[in-house]
Amino acid sequence: MNCHRVRDSLPTLLDRRTAAAVPAEVQAHVAGCADCQREWEELRVTLTHLDDLPVTAPSSRLRRNFHAMLAAEKRREAATAVAPVPAATRRGRSHWLLPLAGGALLALGFLLGQRAGLPARASDDRGTQQELAALRQQMGRQQDQLAKMTTLVTYSLLQQQQHPANERLQQLLADARQEQPSERTLDTVIGALTLDPNVNIRLRAIEALYPHAERELVRAGVRAALPREQHPLVQLELIEFVTLTQDRGAVPLLERMSANDRADPAVRDAALLALARF
Amino acid sequence: MLAVRGGELDALGELFERHHGPLFGFLVKLTGQHAAAEDLTQTVFQRMLKYRHTYRDDGSFTAWMYHLARRCAADHFRRTQSAPAATDPSDLQAFVDEAPHAAVRAAQRDDHALLHSALQQLDRADREVLLLSRFQELSFAEISGILECSAGAAKVRAHRALQQLRTVYFRLQKKPIA
Ligand SMILES: [Zn+2]
Repeated sequence: MNCHRVRDSLPTLLDRRTAAAVPAEVQAHVAGCADCQREWEELRVTLTHLDDLPVTAPSSRLRRNFHAMLAAEKRREAATAVAPVPAATRRGRSHWLLPLAGGALLALGFLLGQRAGLPARASDDRGTQQELAALRQQMGRQQDQLAKMTTLVTYSLLQQQQHPANERLQQLLADARQEQPSERTLDTVIGALTLDPNVNIRLRAIEALYPHAERELVRAGVRAALPREQHPLVQLELIEFVTLTQDRGAVPLLERMSANDRADPAVRDAALLALARF
Repeated sequence: MLAVRGGELDALGELFERHHGPLFGFLVKLTGQHAAAEDLTQTVFQRMLKYRHTYRDDGSFTAWMYHLARRCAADHFRRTQSAPAATDPSDLQAFVDEAPHAAVRAAQRDDHALLHSALQQLDRADREVLLLSRFQELSFAEISGILECSAGAAKVRAHRALQQLRTVYFRLQKKPIA
């Protein structure tokens, strides 16, 4: 047991959560080696002084501001206390086509292409089939671009139909926990953000994308989600995301949101504030 | 927090009372700035409200809170682009005001001020992991969740950060006072 190795494990020995894992020979060495003992003592003193740093109290402003914030949220909650719209109608067949624009529309086109390649499913009703056919035709000329949009669409509508929200959430979390997710994994998370009918899952998806915000794939996905998102809570998170990550590509989208009379006032304000921060 | 998620927003008031002190303490030591720490504490509770639908009961609330706090602090550091900001003298004053006896005050002020400034000289990541591992009753599993790394990595980083702090602290102590 040499001094070098002993010193490496001194912090472990000083941490009551990990001390038990340190071999007894390390302790024996420390007891008999003046140099290591000094090292040990310095670390111990540092820790003691660190723990002894007096805790400063926040000013009364903090409590006041907190309660003002809570009250504002309660008012907002009361104002928007309409029964949550069931996902099926909120993103019903023809309804959910409406908010699609730009890249997201292309993405959808590709998605429909994918879907068409699968054997027809009993659950597909005729109306949907016709809609898909019409849309596909409309998209026909854009095949090249569509191919480039694969990033957005691995998360298919079929997945939504086949797996309950809970299962999708678990999958999303499992995907997001990977330290170095592959493009494919990120695709799935972005897909959840742009296409999942469940608000909680979309919020979770945004959160999961933060660690990977440097990747253009992720930024593009968030930009695509921004104009089509209808839920104020998710809109606010998306605005925050593009602001924190300083994604200048989102500026025109924010400008449009801040000027949109039909958007939630809180969302319009947030978009304005965000613009000011670029 | 489950009550808050379920729509009982008043329950957040209780959480605030119980947790804002330690959270503020963490943020003040992380940023070295009293006013910024107050703003950040407020922001963390704001995000709890905003993110309440995403809260899951399978982790500890404290871990979730520090997860949000870390995000907010990262935003703060990005905004201020700070190399560690010059410590506001009034912040240091605040550290010594609570020292119990005038006789020990001078010595304590030195220790506290030196340690405070040693802390601010660490890399932010080191400071963060050290504070999390020291001030909060969190397991390394929880810390690893907050830092989004493995538990083993969190432990190694915390212990390395302690050695860093010791080095800086003792160097400052040996420096003659100008
Ligand atoms: Zn030795």
